[in-house]
Amino acid sequence: MRILLSAFVFMFCAMAASAQDLQSLLQDNADDIAKPSRNSIGVVLDQMVATGLPQVPAFLEQWSDKNVWQDDITGTFFMATEADDTLTLTDIDTGAETTVPSDGFTQLKPNGGVRRVIGTALVQFQLIDPDTTRRAAALESIARRPEASQLAPLMASLEGETDPALLARKQNLITILSARFAEDPADRIAAIEALAEETSVETRAVLNQILATKPGVATDLPDANIAAQHDPMTGPDGYYAALVAADLATPLTTPDDIRAAMEANIIDGRVGGVPTAQLDTDAARARAYATLAAAGTVPPLVGIPERDNALNTHVFFDTYTEDDPAITTAARNALDQVETAVALAQTVDLGLDALSLASIYFLAAIGLAITFGVMGVINMAHGEFIMMGAYTGYVIQLFVPDYTIAIIIALPTAFAITFAAGVTMERLVIRHLYHRPLETLLATFGISIALQQLAKNIFGTQARPLTSPAWLDGAWIISDVIQISYIRIAIFIMALFFLALILFILKRTRLGLEVRAVTQNPGMAASMGINPDRINMLTFGLGSGIAGIAGVAIGLYAKVTSEMGADYIVQSFMTVVVGGVGNVWGTLAGASLIGGLQKGIEWFNPSNTLAAQTYMILFIILFIQFRPKGIVALKGRAAAD
Amino acid sequence: MQNSFIARNPSVLWFLAALGLFTFGVTILSEATGLGLISTSFVKTLGKTLCLCLIAIAMDVVWGYCGILSLGHFAFFGIGGYAIGMWLMYARTETIVLESLAGQNIPATPQEISDAIGNQIFGVVGSSDFPAIWAFADSLVLQLAMVVLMPGLLALVFGWLAFRSRVTGVYLSILTQAMTLALSLYLFQNDSGLRGNNGLSGLQNIPGFEATPQATISIIFFLASAFALGAGYLFFAWVISGKMGSVVQGIRDNEARVRFLGYQVESYKLFIFTITAIVSGIAGALYYPQAGIINPGEIAPIASIYLAVWVAIGGRGRLYGAVIGAAFVSLLSSWFTGGGAPNVNLGFYTIQWTDWWLVLLGLSFVVVTLYFPKGIGGLFDYLVRKPS
Amino acid sequence: MRFSLKLTALTTASLLATTAIASAECADPIKVGVLHSLSGSMAISETTLKDVMLMLVEQQNAAGGVLGCELEAVVVDPASDWPLFAEKARELLTVHEVDVIFGNWTSVSRKSVLPVIEELNGLLFYPVQYEGEESSKNVFYTGAAPNQQAIPAVDYFLEELGVEKFALLGTDYVYPRTTNNILESYLIDNGIAAEDIFVNYTPFGHSDWATIVGDVVALGEDGKQVGVISTINGDANIGFYKELAAADVSADDIPVVAFSVGEEELSGLDTSNLVGHLAAWNYFQSADTDVNAEFIAAWKEFAGEERVTNDPMEAHYIGFNMWVNAVTAAETTDVDAVRAAMYGQEFPNLTGGTAVMLPNHHLAKPVLIGEITAEGQFDIISQTSEVPGDAWTDFLPESAVLTSDWKDLGCGMYNTETETCVQLTSNY
Repeated sequence: MRILLSAFVFMFCAMAASAQDLQSLLQDNADDIAKPSRNSIGVVLDQMVATGLPQVPAFLEQWSDKNVWQDDITGTFFMATEADDTLTLTDIDTGAETTVPSDGFTQLKPNGGVRRVIGTALVQFQLIDPDTTRRAAALESIARRPEASQLAPLMASLEGETDPALLARKQNLITILSARFAEDPADRIAAIEALAEETSVETRAVLNQILATKPGVATDLPDANIAAQHDPMTGPDGYYAALVAADLATPLTTPDDIRAAMEANIIDGRVGGVPTAQLDTDAARARAYATLAAAGTVPPLVGIPERDNALNTHVFFDTYTEDDPAITTAARNALDQVETAVALAQTVDLGLDALSLASIYFLAAIGLAITFGVMGVINMAHGEFIMMGAYTGYVIQLFVPDYTIAIIIALPTAFAITFAAGVTMERLVIRHLYHRPLETLLATFGISIALQQLAKNIFGTQARPLTSPAWLDGAWIISDVIQISYIRIAIFIMALFFLALILFILKRTRLGLEVRAVTQNPGMAASMGINPDRINMLTFGLGSGIAGIAGVAIGLYAKVTSEMGADYIVQSFMTVVVGGVGNVWGTLAGASLIGGLQKGIEWFNPSNTLAAQTYMILFIILFIQFRPKGIVALKGRAAAD
Repeated sequence: MQNSFIARNPSVLWFLAALGLFTFGVTILSEATGLGLISTSFVKTLGKTLCLCLIAIAMDVVWGYCGILSLGHFAFFGIGGYAIGMWLMYARTETIVLESLAGQNIPATPQEISDAIGNQIFGVVGSSDFPAIWAFADSLVLQLAMVVLMPGLLALVFGWLAFRSRVTGVYLSILTQAMTLALSLYLFQNDSGLRGNNGLSGLQNIPGFEATPQATISIIFFLASAFALGAGYLFFAWVISGKMGSVVQGIRDNEARVRFLGYQVESYKLFIFTITAIVSGIAGALYYPQAGIINPGEIAPIASIYLAVWVAIGGRGRLYGAVIGAAFVSLLSSWFTGGGAPNVNLGFYTIQWTDWWLVLLGLSFVVVTLYFPKGIGGLFDYLVRKPS
Repeated sequence: MRFSLKLTALTTASLLATTAIASAECADPIKVGVLHSLSGSMAISETTLKDVMLMLVEQQNAAGGVLGCELEAVVVDPASDWPLFAEKARELLTVHEVDVIFGNWTSVSRKSVLPVIEELNGLLFYPVQYEGEESSKNVFYTGAAPNQQAIPAVDYFLEELGVEKFALLGTDYVYPRTTNNILESYLIDNGIAAEDIFVNYTPFGHSDWATIVGDVVALGEDGKQVGVISTINGDANIGFYKELAAADVSADDIPVVAFSVGEEELSGLDTSNLVGHLAAWNYFQSADTDVNAEFIAAWKEFAGEERVTNDPMEAHYIGFNMWVNAVTAAETTDVDAVRAAMYGQEFPNLTGGTAVMLPNHHLAKPVLIGEITAEGQFDIISQTSEVPGDAWTDFLPESAVLTSDWKDLGCGMYNTETETCVQLTSNY
């Protein structure tokens, strides 16, 4: 069948080819080709396709890919590739190649709208192309601009399709096109019902387009496919505006109108008998206006009573643009079903987003939680350790071009560098301040501003790229609604890994045992032969090291700047404080609560992310009132403070 | 009573004398009254510094004396600034609007005037309606009351909630930081009705004094700031010198013991927290007309942390320490970042202080915390003790 | 001489004069204040503008200075601190006594400086695209007003891309707020229903974009072509574009046009997944003209090979040269005289065509739309003829009646309905 079809196309081409060559057709429409517009290019495209020349599809593809150049002097079009200021020209009709300097040639850059129209024109050639990528491109073009004329060729192409994925996609598109464009209403209804099972944006788009309505107003309800009838009193001004637009009423007299009427009718310092000096109240102006209206100098006042009267004598309704009620009913039912599924999927998606955010907060905060919990020390420079980790990743990517290897090197290096930085800081500063927790807060803040500025001096204030390896690009797409990017999944897995690792270290190793002992009672631990100094140092190093790894993760999904640490530090504090100090599970609970809460509030008020953050902090402040020691309260040195 | 209080605290007298002398000197040398040796922009800087000193002593009382490391006092400072800023903007705009409407044939209704003012003030941030929060903006007296009431009320409610649940130490610090962050995020929103990120601007133009040169206005505000600082200093010195002061310092040193002695620890803390918040509000109300613009960035958590830095460097637990810290660090900071400090050429690298000043500040802060917990004020102990 | 163009406006005398003679002729050098943040959050963008000013001053001095005097750049650092902008502006005008200031980036910093500049009758050249709704006697706006960037970009969306549903995403501050207000009003005038306009504001430096990108994709559910107008500022763009790429939102499905993303911002990104998304500016580095090639070469020589050029740099380039020409024409640096000489000043754009200074203190400049390329540059796909900047937008009822004309009406906020001047100072 496919062979037959292509043979048919070639025959058709051969018949028309004799008419003219493509270049002369292009020259006839040279202006439209050189400066194409979405609205005007369709005619030229139709002409090109009608010639049936075999070179047309190739030319269209090259044009769309910005590979067509025009000779500035002769105006001839060429397909060309540029390399080092030289152009390799390919003649559009003969395919002959020449190499010339690129001066004197202008590249044609059709914009996105034109490219989409070209894509639609290419559909008929590409649908049966042996190359799967071309067939896929054709299907994408159909999905972007569904047209009635595409249904028949699409169905015809079904038979020869060998690729199972493309076959499924074709069937899917046929259902979508049938729902809108099939001749037989029964076919349409069947297609619509089939669509009810899907939640994709395309499906909803089709159903919504079938259900498209237009508002109407009349004195009596007309005999049409009515979608809904409205009570005008729910939004009187809006409905009155519709009434005015339909020439069924005169506009309300606005304060500006009244004022203009006053100004236009000042006679001897009076308006309608009222002295102008007194016209500084609405009541006085109304009186003056009434007098003017009575005298016929101004149109009568249209106020609220007149408006309501007019509204009550009219009906306001929406009619479907589709005339067949059977189809709209089927579409409505299908859409209801789809929307229920979508709402469910959105909840799941929101849950995934919240989980992802929580895992990021967890990674950022866990290091802080360890040091705070074990040592009772709050480290304001924690955010800068995150930043150091991210910059480590950036620097390694400068030297290691392979992103996968770079990340594999970056993670342990970031850990090592921030571990060392943490240990140094603990040795030099923090251990002198163990009995003055509030002062550690200030000293570490000093380190924080110094480190931040140092990063600015070294790397500049410009954000630096930290690019994820290609296999982390893209998203895990479950449906059009539920999707999450791979990088977020990776961060989530990383968070899980560190949760497990820290639990393992704390619960299953000698170090963990000692850490827990020092946490609970440093004096007693010391007398049992544990060196609290060493434990403190290692704990601090561990906490800082994890911050460094968190930095690589955060840099991958967001940005690397000298101020990135500051963005996370307050959030991390909240996480630790809400969760309860010194407990891994507490931090996990805190991160989940904050992540979930933030997404929840965003969902209630999607247009204002800033408000979500404000309300979240207010909630935390209130939460602390009721659970001052956090979700998971702990006893020990940290709890005493 | 007053005599004995002064006698017990000679440093208060010394401080007031020094402040008076300084104020007198600056006034004489300023452009407004005489020699013009001190430029108007520097008078404004000095006036603002005095306001910062005022909030620094408030911070010292709440932290150095009462042991509450509040990382949110700049929220109160900002609220004071916003409260006065609303009146300044409203009154200035009203004058402009009334002038432009005066020439019309039909006198404007109150509604039209209000609409025009709203359009002028909020037009630049893409709206034109007057939010409810501006209800009292037309009255200087009410807005001045707001300067005191708003920070006071916020501190009262926040403090009551926090102290009641016995949130202390680092937790309390983080909580106060959260408070100021929430407030600044709230104000950042355009919907908050206070012009979002743009804040309130043109505050240096005092309504009714459009013709007065800034040289004069700056010196008036400088004098007012000096007076407020003096009065605030006297007030706090009095608060901390009596029995009240002893209880408060007892709370700092060991809260549990004071509680067991039968004192209502929460009430004392709440009182100190609220009263310092009010003083911070007043400092803000004097600061922003000199700065000319207030916006939510001023309330960001970092500002309050810097406040703690000043007090720590100046020396906690002594009021003059806070003043020295605030004045020294903020002036030094503007000297360094303003390019005043000469660059240091190391041969292989030139240290530009605009780049390196923050590094220096951060590290010196660590050093002060580690080795000089008494701060610069501690030097005075050394000087006083040496002759004996 | 690289900048041969500006030489044409100089007198022969100054052409012949060497720098040494020039400084002998006049007692004091002419001081040019540079008021850009060199530290703090805005240093990222503004340091570049400081460098460009230093380069322009250096080149002008090499060409003999102005009026036979040498130019001296006075650089101060307002440190991204808005009140400090006012303080430093006062310092520049009263202590350093500069003759002109080139500076500011954010609107709030400009609003902070305005009262000071107007009080002391200074002269400020503001180089960044902004929200309009302002016209100060003492400020020349060399960046784009909304009708020189936002409106043409939306026209492009409506006409060329056939977008029927709009997502206006912005950072929560005055420029996006006002611009989006204007655009909403403009879109409704153009037949887009109010429910087809989705508006979202995020804080500065926002990084969690998954939900918002998901919301935008979901807008396509009624089958309309969706387009995104982004006024997202600074660093936040990086997270936004990364999420966009991760969600596989191609420019063919949902085109994004940005007003605050230039060559500098793209250098922090891997753009291979963003090819085809758009930006609207008055200048792109990829503009194919001889003057632009010269400018880029001079810039790279001055600042470093890896540096890119962007739109506000061109604005300073035009602004500075216009000021030089105006001073030459007025034969003095007196602010009022220079201002009078500024009206009608013409100077060639780097993108071709000629920029003209209008009596409302805005420029007439062409509007360019570029598609992001894999190399982190922009491929210019649309270039209009010069569009005159409009201080007061025609698309909001309150400001449609206002006009600005400092030359003939002598008023920046003139109500054409009541024919009165609302105020002579600007609305800060």
